[in-house]
Amino acid sequence: MYGGGSGTHQSKREMSLEYQAQISILRPSIRARRANMTVKFQDVHGFTVEGNVDDVNVLNEVREKLRQQCRVWWALEANKGVNWYLETHVSSTLKSSLKFSALVNAITLKRLIKKGIPLNFRPKVWFSLSGAAKKKSTVPDSYYNDMTSAVFDMVTPATKQIDQDLPRTFPGHPWLDTSDGHSALRRVLVAYSFRDSDVGYCQGLNYVAALLLLVMKTEEDAFWMLAVLLENVLFNDCYTYNLSGCHVDQRVFRDLLAKKCPRIATHLEGIDFDVSLVCTEWFLCLFSKSLPSETTLRVWDILFYEGANVLFNVALAIFKMNEEELLVTHQVGDVINVIQKTTHHLFDPDELLTVAFDKIGFTTTTTISKQRKKQEPAVMAELDQRLRRLNSLHENGDEN
Amino acid sequence: MASSGNKNINAKLVLLGDVATGKSSLVLRFVKGQFVEFQESTIGAAFFSQTVAVNDATVKFEIWDTAGQERYHSLAPMYYRGAAAAIIVYDITNQASFDRAKKWVQELQAQGNPNMVMALAGNKSDLLDARKVAAEEAQTYAQENGLFFMETSAKTATNVNDVFYEIAKRLPRLQQAPNPSGMVLVDRPADRATGASCCS
Ligand SMILES: Nc1nc2c(ncn2[C@@H]2O[C@H](COP(=O)(O)OP(=O)(O)O)[C@@H](O)[C@H]2O)c(=O)[nH]1
Ligand SMILES: [Mg+2]
Repeated sequence: MYGGGSGTHQSKREMSLEYQAQISILRPSIRARRANMTVKFQDVHGFTVEGNVDDVNVLNEVREKLRQQCRVWWALEANKGVNWYLETHVSSTLKSSLKFSALVNAITLKRLIKKGIPLNFRPKVWFSLSGAAKKKSTVPDSYYNDMTSAVFDMVTPATKQIDQDLPRTFPGHPWLDTSDGHSALRRVLVAYSFRDSDVGYCQGLNYVAALLLLVMKTEEDAFWMLAVLLENVLFNDCYTYNLSGCHVDQRVFRDLLAKKCPRIATHLEGIDFDVSLVCTEWFLCLFSKSLPSETTLRVWDILFYEGANVLFNVALAIFKMNEEELLVTHQVGDVINVIQKTTHHLFDPDELLTVAFDKIGFTTTTTISKQRKKQEPAVMAELDQRLRRLNSLHENGDEN
Repeated sequence: MASSGNKNINAKLVLLGDVATGKSSLVLRFVKGQFVEFQESTIGAAFFSQTVAVNDATVKFEIWDTAGQERYHSLAPMYYRGAAAAIIVYDITNQASFDRAKKWVQELQAQGNPNMVMALAGNKSDLLDARKVAAEEAQTYAQENGLFFMETSAKTATNVNDVFYEIAKRLPRLQQAPNPSGMVLVDRPADRATGASCCS
């Protein structure tokens, strides 16, 4: 059922999703509604989620908005040409009228992306805007196929870990958790582990690649999206052998929180709650394990267009949205509950993104890069010290 | 809520061990009484809480279930810092996971909270035919290192609750006597500086 990628295939798939949505939404009785009972239903991308009646309604609104946006994008394409969104770079060689139209396109695009890229536009818009298309164009057409057939039966620590994680990646998803889904995910992850031996395979990438497969519809495009994500969009030390980049991100985030949400930061410090306890997973899985799927993909819409700073904005927003509740927590468990209750129910992407961009204030990839540079030496020293301490322990232990 | 004389304590507990030894499955069994063949692989760590009653006290465990892949180990200090208890898990059908467990024990003895109650859990005890690690070997190791040892099965539920109850009973704050019977306290010099890195 998966992997076609033709236009008719897409619309069929969409229709079936809509159909599923209609049959799978239960209609709880008024009593249930009063009791605020939770029901299980399938979201926009086939994931089973739990929520109350309001959540079901919110998700229906999200579906409706997606349809509206789709009409807007079709109209623009008819009006400006198929690849209008690529003509947004104001180059000095262009005539001034062209420059102007590029500028208009750039502004339109930015605004549209904040509103979300419709499902059937996502594959090609992501592919172009992220730089994946360019990356792919620098190698022979057969690169991915050659790669996968060359490495498919090799066994490495990475492939062993990948095999262990296949059935543990979004178990229960109607496509990902089938043998087709597992083998597509395996090929993408294994191929990437050979492309970049510094990263190899890092747990967390299974979730990221799985969502990329769902969006991109072809395995090869998912592979290139993963490549551009790890090599260009994100900071390139995030998934390496000791996760040093992850440590750096956590320090940068802690400082940002102290600056942008000082009351929360002070309170959490007071109850001895390290924000990394919740943020680590957000950054490593790019929210895919925490936020509802369409909300995650809306974050990724901006991620592929603007860069990794969006991750910080979104993480800040999740704290900001809960300021009052967080300020009255006393225990670790309370903090986690407040945060998880929010993240799991953020079915309305706009609710999150409005806070992330209108209330938090600007962070740019450049400022984040600068902050990261500042933190790097301390992280390296800390990791190094830990390693040396452990090595000396193990040596002593072995002598005994 | 609690009548006078009752003690309610919170105890931070961390699970450490090699990938796929069944840490998440043990937690799921203990917290929800369930076992699923495949559950999502843990990234960073997942948090759970569960309360147990021991005599006239209740212990609320704040459980951190950590990720097992090697590169995630650099994050571990964040989860074991200040922990009152740890369960170090290995898979009885996998010798390498037992070796890895010993390394965790060493690390906790050197870096963790000095009063930490440590349990060694040899999980997947239902897979007797595939056993690679002898129970006696693990028992001896545990005794020598001041841990208590149990073989568990998250699948059949054997000994799962027992590990947590046993930990609860041994928590120093629930103990009258400073040296609880059956628990060998590790004698370590004062070099176990906790948390803060101050070495030059
Ligand atoms: N037979 C058996 N399998 C288990 C047991 N505990 C866990 N497993 C399986 O081992 C695999 C890894 O379990 P998981 O809890 O995810 O391990 P973790 O990586 O340590 O958290 C899963 O496929 C589980 O079903 C057990 O007690 N017996
Ligand atoms: Mg786990």
